[in-house]
Amino acid sequence: MGLLAAGIGAGIVALGAGLGIGMIGKAATESIARQPEASGDIRGAMILTAAFIEGVALLGAVICILLALGIGQ
Amino acid sequence: MVQTLRRVFLTLLFLSISTSNTFASEQDEAQVLDVMGTVADHDYFKVPGFINGGKIYLPRIFYWESAEGESKLSAYLSTKSVLESGEFVETEEGALVPANGGHIIVDLSITSHLIYFWMGMLLALVLTVMAAGRYKRGIGRTVEPQGAFQNIFEVLFVFIRDDVARDNIDHHKADRYVPFLFTMFMGISFMNLFGLLPWAATATADLTVTATLAFVTFVITQFSGTKDYWAHIFWFPGVPTWVRVILTPVEILGMFTKPFALAIRLFANMLSGKIMIIAILGLVFIFADLFGAGAAYGVGIFSVSLTVVLYALKAFVALLQAYIFTLLSAVFIGMAAEDHAHSEEGYYTEHSAEEVSAN
Repeated sequence: MGLLAAGIGAGIVALGAGLGIGMIGKAATESIARQPEASGDIRGAMILTAAFIEGVALLGAVICILLALGIGQ
Repeated sequence: MVQTLRRVFLTLLFLSISTSNTFASEQDEAQVLDVMGTVADHDYFKVPGFINGGKIYLPRIFYWESAEGESKLSAYLSTKSVLESGEFVETEEGALVPANGGHIIVDLSITSHLIYFWMGMLLALVLTVMAAGRYKRGIGRTVEPQGAFQNIFEVLFVFIRDDVARDNIDHHKADRYVPFLFTMFMGISFMNLFGLLPWAATATADLTVTATLAFVTFVITQFSGTKDYWAHIFWFPGVPTWVRVILTPVEILGMFTKPFALAIRLFANMLSGKIMIIAILGLVFIFADLFGAGAAYGVGIFSVSLTVVLYALKAFVALLQAYIFTLLSAVFIGMAAEDHAHSEEGYYTEHSAEEVSAN
């Protein structure tokens, strides 16, 4: 059961993180295309926001690893 | 040209020594590859070569309470000498417990991750002191920086100072935090990059290490907090009182989740890189088991080339994660140390517009 839960959980985590980072990438490339001279600032903001999303996603991934290894049972 | 060839030759020699060492140690150990064991902390320090089978055992230090209730501090040279002394016995899970009852209060043992933590920080210190010596002699101040080392150092330092510290922390306060941020960046970079060596351990793939680093950021953030920062946590300005009842617990929780996320992010990124490489190389053995040697050769070509790409990606991620850790530390410190020039109502109105135009 733990393995099943970890698998489903990892899938949902990947879904959410992919969606979030994809939206950041879309917004960032669009704004760089509109205003190429601000690309440095936009890139910094993009990495920062992506890092926040990644943090939440990895929190989920760590919990999935713990579930899969059966730690805490 | 000759020098380049010599370097390539030395690198190959170095690699062949380290790989033959891995072979030797794996043959006398268990046949099953322990995935978590390769990323876990150990009581020994692996070295290339054949000294003690490539392992140097590290001292164990315990602060423990005996069955009679007296607390003692005991130090041993290695896990072996702990067991030989007879004061501790090993349980089935491999943990050490006092032989005559009682329990270990704190395990202060020096482990491989701690050694790599020290090495990373020491390397950062040595390089910084070396560069500082050159600036003290006037190279880089009166004349241009000379040599590859000083130029790379200056690029990194100016990057941390301008793009990380001054961009995110108030201008007149930013320079105070540059030493801390630069130490974090260099130290974490080296700790991450040590993980790329075949025999070394990644100290940052250990939650205790990243939690310690994040704790330092947490302490510095709280101590650099202005009156405004604490006001925003306990008595959020410009909202009705009943909203504050909800906001205050959320803000207090936010104080702790920020460094927590910082620790988890670095830990999980470094751990996942290692596990990914092990998993992809493990495909070779899985295919050899399922379909025989032919399939394993086929998958081997694919796996090894993918591992090379992943290895390069890991080197990039090592630097990127050090940058992100430093950047987020700077952002959190900047949020706490910020002097708000706004009144209670005009948070997003005239004042912020003025600030934007002033900048």
